Amino acid sequence: MPQLTTEHINYIIKDLHYRGLVYEPLQNELVDHICSSVETEMEQGKKFIEAYQEVLKSFGHTKGLRETQRQTIHSENSIFKAMLKNYLTIALRNLRKQSFYSVINITGLAVGIASCLVIVLYIFNELSYDKHNANAGRIYRIDSEILFNGNHLQMVTASAPMGPAIKETYPEVEQMTRIREEGTMLIKRSIDNIRETNVVYADSTVFSVFTIPLISGNPKTALVEPNTLVLSESTANKLFPNNEDPIGQSLILDNKHNYKITGVYKDIPRESHFHFSMMLSMESLKDSKNDEWLSHNFVTYLLLRDGASAQELEGKFPKLIDIHVTPMLKQMLGPEVDMDAFLQAGNKLDYTLRPLLDIHLYSDLSGEFEPNSDITYVYLFGAVALFILLIACINFMNLSTARSANRAKEVGMRKVMGSLRLHLVNQFLMESILLSLFSFVIALLLAYLAMPFFNDLAGKQISIPWTNPVFILIVFAVSILIGIFAGTYPAFFLSAFRPINVLKGNMALGMKSGLIRSGLVVFQFSISIILIIGTFTVQQQLSYIQQKKIGFNKDQVIVIQDAYAMGDQLQSFKDEVLKNAAITNGSISGFLPVAGTSRNDNVYWPEGTDPSQNNMVSLQVWSVDQDYVSTLGMEIMEGRNFSLDFPSDSGAVIMNEAALKMFNFTEDPVGKKIATFGGGMGADGKPNTVSFEVIGSLKDFHFESLKQSITPVALFLRRSTSRISFRFEANNTQDVINTIQSTWAQMAPGQPFQYTFLDQAFGEMYDSEQRLGKIFAVFAGLAILIASLGLFALTSFTAEQRNKEIGIRKVLGASVSSIVVLLSKEFGKLIIVAFILSVPIAWYAVNWWLESYMYKVEVGVIVYLLAGLASFLIAWLTMGFQSMKAASSNPIDALRSE
Amino acid sequence: MYRPLMHSPELLKGTLQTILLKVLKDNGKMYGYEITQKVKELSLGRILLTEGALYPALHKLEAEGLLQTETVLMGKRVRKYYTITVTGKSLVKERVTEFREFIRTMSAVLQVQIA
Repeated sequence: MPQLTTEHINYIIKDLHYRGLVYEPLQNELVDHICSSVETEMEQGKKFIEAYQEVLKSFGHTKGLRETQRQTIHSENSIFKAMLKNYLTIALRNLRKQSFYSVINITGLAVGIASCLVIVLYIFNELSYDKHNANAGRIYRIDSEILFNGNHLQMVTASAPMGPAIKETYPEVEQMTRIREEGTMLIKRSIDNIRETNVVYADSTVFSVFTIPLISGNPKTALVEPNTLVLSESTANKLFPNNEDPIGQSLILDNKHNYKITGVYKDIPRESHFHFSMMLSMESLKDSKNDEWLSHNFVTYLLLRDGASAQELEGKFPKLIDIHVTPMLKQMLGPEVDMDAFLQAGNKLDYTLRPLLDIHLYSDLSGEFEPNSDITYVYLFGAVALFILLIACINFMNLSTARSANRAKEVGMRKVMGSLRLHLVNQFLMESILLSLFSFVIALLLAYLAMPFFNDLAGKQISIPWTNPVFILIVFAVSILIGIFAGTYPAFFLSAFRPINVLKGNMALGMKSGLIRSGLVVFQFSISIILIIGTFTVQQQLSYIQQKKIGFNKDQVIVIQDAYAMGDQLQSFKDEVLKNAAITNGSISGFLPVAGTSRNDNVYWPEGTDPSQNNMVSLQVWSVDQDYVSTLGMEIMEGRNFSLDFPSDSGAVIMNEAALKMFNFTEDPVGKKIATFGGGMGADGKPNTVSFEVIGSLKDFHFESLKQSITPVALFLRRSTSRISFRFEANNTQDVINTIQSTWAQMAPGQPFQYTFLDQAFGEMYDSEQRLGKIFAVFAGLAILIASLGLFALTSFTAEQRNKEIGIRKVLGASVSSIVVLLSKEFGKLIIVAFILSVPIAWYAVNWWLESYMYKVEVGVIVYLLAGLASFLIAWLTMGFQSMKAASSNPIDALRSE
Repeated sequence: MYRPLMHSPELLKGTLQTILLKVLKDNGKMYGYEITQKVKELSLGRILLTEGALYPALHKLEAEGLLQTETVLMGKRVRKYYTITVTGKSLVKERVTEFREFIRTMSAVLQVQIA
């Protein structure tokens, strides 16, 4: 067999290489194969070149060779796997190499995602209220709106006969249940009382409308009999700690009523608009059977049949009201008045159906069982979550594109080497998804750690649903989506580079290049400034509320609840406590100028006129004693306070300014008289009346949240024993509590001692605002932190970019400060633009929020300036550090290498 | 060149791996060109392995660990020898049995008697 010469072999190798055979493992082999074939051909007498052509033909020439090469590479390993592996390797390598940016990117994104996660969980929690009820979608509450002579009431209650009448009249109502709030009760088995809040009377149908599973007892019969009650599981555990069976046992309520326990129900879930500790049978309550259509005390829920329309049902109410209410109006206002005349006089008596699922987020009427949340918070927090996430994503985009300078050469090289644009896009997307996944892992950890603090702040008990596969899946999917979202812009931006420009080095780089990047920085800081202004405003409004002259002195007043437990001894208890030098005043009254205390109202008119729609005034009627005004630090403007020296004071009244205005008593009010119905009919066929003489006028004071205006209030000298308040002057509050408590324990053994401070109770009215303020501050802080992180990285990047420029400037004599100014100037401009953009938006948002307050703080220009200055300072400090570093470095280090 | 009664590449497609493994099992160390010659000889010239099919298949089998290679320098030329691995050997048996079953099935399906 003839052997090929070295020249022949070299020729073949060269030729094959020329034809595009470059894959080394195959190249050697094919050379050998072709040589062997050529030798065989030559054996048959062919010349080398002829033989080679023949062999090449059998390979299919260049095309066939390349195809073989392609197939070989393909069969050796799956291309996709290889590419993925390659992307991953490069991505990891890049992240490691650029660890400074990676850390900033991951931290920013992780904090952003963690905040977002926490907020989203909060929102889901808010939206889940009352959904545990099997028939939640078909349950409606009857809300009432009454407008009568300037007194406007919006209540969650309806009259006692209304619910049963509706159930009777309209077949589309499947079931009806009424609940009457009783509030706090003292409960005892034998000797010691415990105090239970959230006690209600409920119709026996409560179990068929709501899903309240009974642990023991029969839901059909549990609340049917009078003087029976059902307990919640935790109340039962409190009263019967030794695993006794509560069913059939008796309890004594408020020291006098005897009730039999007929059932124990599972504690109502946290996400419900009511949490009753016990329910007494409605049968036990005489009021529940009355026929007074104008007395609204019963929260009434309707369960509609499948497919029934609440709107249509609502439309039928006026007729029902007309039938039942008109006779009462005639009796009260005279025979000529009927429903039409009543309504035409500008009065209102409206009943609407509110879906159960809307109660928690939309209902804020008087008489709610518990303070509800507000849908605006859901929107507000949703927006904040979105903003924070956006800021974090923008950081990511900015850093990636800014770094493009460093990676431009890489992109150029890759393109020259034959990389397609798609490959580069994949490469960059891979990096961003990887970053996003890292961030999510850290974010989950952060969220887990932050959850207890957030719960504390928001007054919630939310936990991260680790075991929920849907949650995990969503988190995973979102992390990839965010990776793609944040990576898309850099990916397309970077992959669009023209290799020739990049490799020649005439890319326009640095901060000036990115209009989009500047836009994004402006956007970030606009949001930050808006959040700062929002935080400032909320804080200002809160301190305004706390410091506003509220018309009474809320400090240093202790309020003891359930004073009636003292029974007949209450007065002597008060005298006994007052012997203490630190205690200056004391007053027995359940009516206090904070929400959640006793309230009562009635209509009055100036004596000497006939009661008519035009002169009747609906008054808050507060029963107080003669020490009330001094104990609460209210101010008598004209006339005098109640006094024991005037036995006639039982027929006297003290009114606030708002009430005087309604009666037109503003000039010289003392001595004027007002009248009201006294109950029953007189001999002349007219209703009996009683009259009261005005002995003093009271400076207006706030007694509900500052969201509401001050309505007419009148004080009457009557007994109201549910609370007793003491004003004290002592630095050591604990001493005061101890003294009062020991007196209490002596005089009322076995009765629970519960107290609050008036300023505390006052503060609680603004609980949700306080929470809002704190949460807002925290998230605004986080947003600014993330934005600053991004700015920090961007500045350090620019400084790095302009390293040589700075070096040359320094060599030519530039001072450190002039270089710092140079570097800060570009970002400074952006911050100013951001400020200008954000002010109108913030102004609009702030006014929108403040609109719900009757009394609001003036948000001055100073707040806006302060916010702008704060963000500018933060940005400047962030940049300043980097700028200083760059400016003060030795120019030799920058210029030495080229 | 005279090629008597060539089998169509379509028919051969599924059997290429089996052929390569079996030939290497029976003949030990071989290089690419040698394999084509051996197959040509065994098939009496009816099966001609094209290079375009041979090398991708060989490289795939190597990547799967069924074959191993050694290279010998021969002056300017580098020759790559393939040998079958232990896993490859056990697979050959399987493949051959499988193929025998296949022929039996095919003869039943096509109603032909195989000598």
